[in-house]
Amino acid sequence: MSGKNRLNIFPTRMALTNMKSKLKGAITGHSLLKKKSDALTIRFRKILANIVENKQMMGATMREASFSLAAAKYAAGEFSNSVIENVTNPTIVVKMQTENVAGVHLPTFEKVSESAVSNSQELTGLSKGGQQIGKSRESHVKALEALIVLASLQTAFITLDEVIKITNRRVNAIEFVVKPRLENTINYIITELDESEREEFYRLKKVQGKKKKDLKAKEAAKSELLLQQNTPTVATPTSKPAHKVKSMIEDEQEEELIYE
Amino acid sequence: MAAKNMTENALVAVIGDEDIVTGFLLAGCGQKDKKKTENFLVVDNKTSISKIEQSFKNFTQRNDIAIILISQKIADEIRPLIDEYNQVIPTILEIPSKDHPYDPSKDSVMLKVKRMTGAD
Amino acid sequence: MGFFSTRKHGNDGYLEGLLRGFRKGILTAADYANLRQCDNLEDMKLHLSQTDYGDFLAGEPSPLHTTTIAEKATQKLVNEFMHIRNQAVEPLATFMDYICYGYMIDNVVLLITGTLHERDVSELVDKCHPLGMFKSMATLSVVHNVADLYNMVLIDTPLAPYVQECLSEDDLDEMNIEIIRNTLYKAYLEDFYHYVNELGGQTSLIMNDILKFEADRRSINITINSFGSTELTKDDREKLYPAIGLLYPEGTAKLSKAEDVDTVRSILEVYSSYKSFFSEGGVSAETSLEDSFFKHEVQLNRMAFEDQFGYGVFYAYVKLREQEIRNIVWIAECISQNMKQKIDQFIPIF
Repeated sequence: MSGKNRLNIFPTRMALTNMKSKLKGAITGHSLLKKKSDALTIRFRKILANIVENKQMMGATMREASFSLAAAKYAAGEFSNSVIENVTNPTIVVKMQTENVAGVHLPTFEKVSESAVSNSQELTGLSKGGQQIGKSRESHVKALEALIVLASLQTAFITLDEVIKITNRRVNAIEFVVKPRLENTINYIITELDESEREEFYRLKKVQGKKKKDLKAKEAAKSELLLQQNTPTVATPTSKPAHKVKSMIEDEQEEELIYE
Repeated sequence: MAAKNMTENALVAVIGDEDIVTGFLLAGCGQKDKKKTENFLVVDNKTSISKIEQSFKNFTQRNDIAIILISQKIADEIRPLIDEYNQVIPTILEIPSKDHPYDPSKDSVMLKVKRMTGAD
Repeated sequence: MGFFSTRKHGNDGYLEGLLRGFRKGILTAADYANLRQCDNLEDMKLHLSQTDYGDFLAGEPSPLHTTTIAEKATQKLVNEFMHIRNQAVEPLATFMDYICYGYMIDNVVLLITGTLHERDVSELVDKCHPLGMFKSMATLSVVHNVADLYNMVLIDTPLAPYVQECLSEDDLDEMNIEIIRNTLYKAYLEDFYHYVNELGGQTSLIMNDILKFEADRRSINITINSFGSTELTKDDREKLYPAIGLLYPEGTAKLSKAEDVDTVRSILEVYSSYKSFFSEGGVSAETSLEDSFFKHEVQLNRMAFEDQFGYGVFYAYVKLREQEIRNIVWIAECISQNMKQKIDQFIPIF
C-alpha cells in the first residue's frame, strides 16, 4: 500500500531530511492557498449576492427605460429608424480596468461619457416629442450604467469562479496527493532506516557471538597448550598462526569488544 | 489590494429588438465606422437565426467590444452558442425586453449563480 | 357659396359620407373603458374585434407585439384613406395628396439618412410610412450616393419644389438630418396653407386653423427642443419656423431669441390660445405641453367634423385616427409592460 503512493527514492538519511523539508513546504503552501481560496470565496460570495440583487434591479430599470421609450414614441411618433440610421460615433464607451484581489486580476468596467449627446442624435424629435425622447435617453443611460456595473460583476464572477476552482484543485491536490505521498515517503525512509539498523545490529550480534566463541576456543586451546607444554618457545609460534587467520577482523573486533 | 491598470476604451454592443436597440443607441452606445460595421443588430421576426449567430460571433471576436447586451428572448434562440461561450471578455449580459420580463431561470450566468449558491 | 357647396357636394358627397361612416368607427369612451380593463394583449385583440377594427389582428401569431398592433392599425387607416383617394376627383385628390406629402417628407429623410450611411436603400423602403410612398421609390435600387438620390429620385417626387427651393445637393451631405426634415416640413406647411386658401370656402376656414396651429406647435417645439444644442444656432433655428401661424412674425421673432422655457412661456402669454398650455403644466411643464398640443390638435380636428362641405374632414380623419392608433399602442404598452397606473395618460378623441 505505502509502496505505491510514495516517491521512488533511495532511503537514506539525506533523503529523509529532503523529504521532511519538502513536506514542510507543502504544508505552508497548503495553508497559503487555503487562505487565498478563502479570501477569493469571501469576495465571490459578495459578488454572488450583488449579482442576484443587480439582476433583479436591472429588470426594474429596464422596464422603466422601455416604458420611457413608449412614452417618447407616443409623443414623437416612430423615430427608431432615424435613430438607427443616424448612428456615427459612440458617446458612451467603457474603460476596462483590472482590480487585483489576492493576486487575481479582475477586469472591471467603468462608463466613460465622451459628451452628453452625440451631434447626430441631438436634434431627434426636434419638431415633436423632443422632450420625451430626451427623457427616454436619460433613462436608457441610467439603464446602461446599471448594466455596465452588472457586467463588471459578471466578469468578476466568471473569473473568480475559474480561479477559485483552480485554487481549490491545488489545495486539494496538496492535501490529498502531495502531502500523503511525502508522508508515506518519509515513513518509508524511516522504516527502511530502522530495518537496516536492526539488520546491522543483528549482524553485529552474530559477529560478536562468533568472536566470543572463537575466543573461548582459542583460550581453551591456549590453556590446554600451556598445560601440555610448559615451554614458552613453543607457545609463541602456535599463537602466531592463530593471529594471522583472524587478523583482518580481530583488530576492529577487539576494539568493539571493549565497548561492549 | 486594488492595483488598477488602465486599458483602452471599449464599446458596448447590443443585440435586441428595435425598441431595445433604439433606446441604447439613443443613450449613445452605438457606433458605425467607415466600413459600415455596426456594433448593434436589430432583430425582428424576419431575422434568421444564422444571422443572429453570425453577428454574435463577430461581436465576440472583435477586440474593441467589452460588453454584449443581448435581449433574453434572442438569447434563447441561440442558447447553445451562449452556453458554450467561455471567454471572459466581452461579457454577455442578458437583458429583458419590454414584452418579455426578465426570467432569471433562463440566464446562463444566473443558472451558474444558482447552482453555486444551491450547491454550497 | 350656396351653389358652390352644392356642386361640390355632388362630387365629393359620397366620399364625405363614406368618411363620416369611417368616423363612426373611431373608438368611443366606452371602448377605451373596455380596453383599459384588459389584462393582456390577447384580451385587447378580443375587445378591438368588437369595434370597427374588426379582425385586423386575425392571423397574427401569438404572442402579439405592440408594434404589430400599431402596424396593422396603421395599415387599416391607409386602406381606408386609399379607398377614398382612389375615388376622389380634383380638387379633393390634390388635397389628399397634400396630406400624404407630410409622410413623404419623413420617408425622404429616412432615405437620405440611409444613403448617407451607405445602407442598401431598397431595404429601407419597407420601413417607410405607407402613406408617404411615391412612384420613384421603385428606382431606388439604382441609388448609390446622395447625388443620385437628389438628381434621380427626389426630383421626381412631389416634394421636388420643396427640395429645390431649400436644399442644394451639397446640403444633403452636410446638414443635420433633422434640420433637413424641418426645412422641408416648413416648406410643405407653407405650400399646403397657400393651397387650402386657394381652394377657399369651408376648406380654408377649417384647414387654416389646423395648419396655423401645426405651424405654431412646430415653432414652439423646435425652440424648446433645441435649447443647449450645439448643432442648431439661433439663426438657423429661426429659418425653421414656418412663415404662417398665429405666432408669425412677431412671436417667432421673439422665439428665435429665447434661451429657456421661461422665456418661451412669457412669449406665449400674450396669445390667448396658447396661454393655457403652459399654466396647466406647473412643474413638469414640458411633458404636459406636448399633451396640451395633442389635446388642442384633437379638438381642432374634431371641429372639422362639425362642418360640412369642406375638405377639412379628410385631413382631420387621418389625424384623429393617428391619435387613436397612438392611444391604442399606449394602452397596449401599458398593459404589456405592466404599467397600468399610467394607462390613463392618453388623449380620448370623442
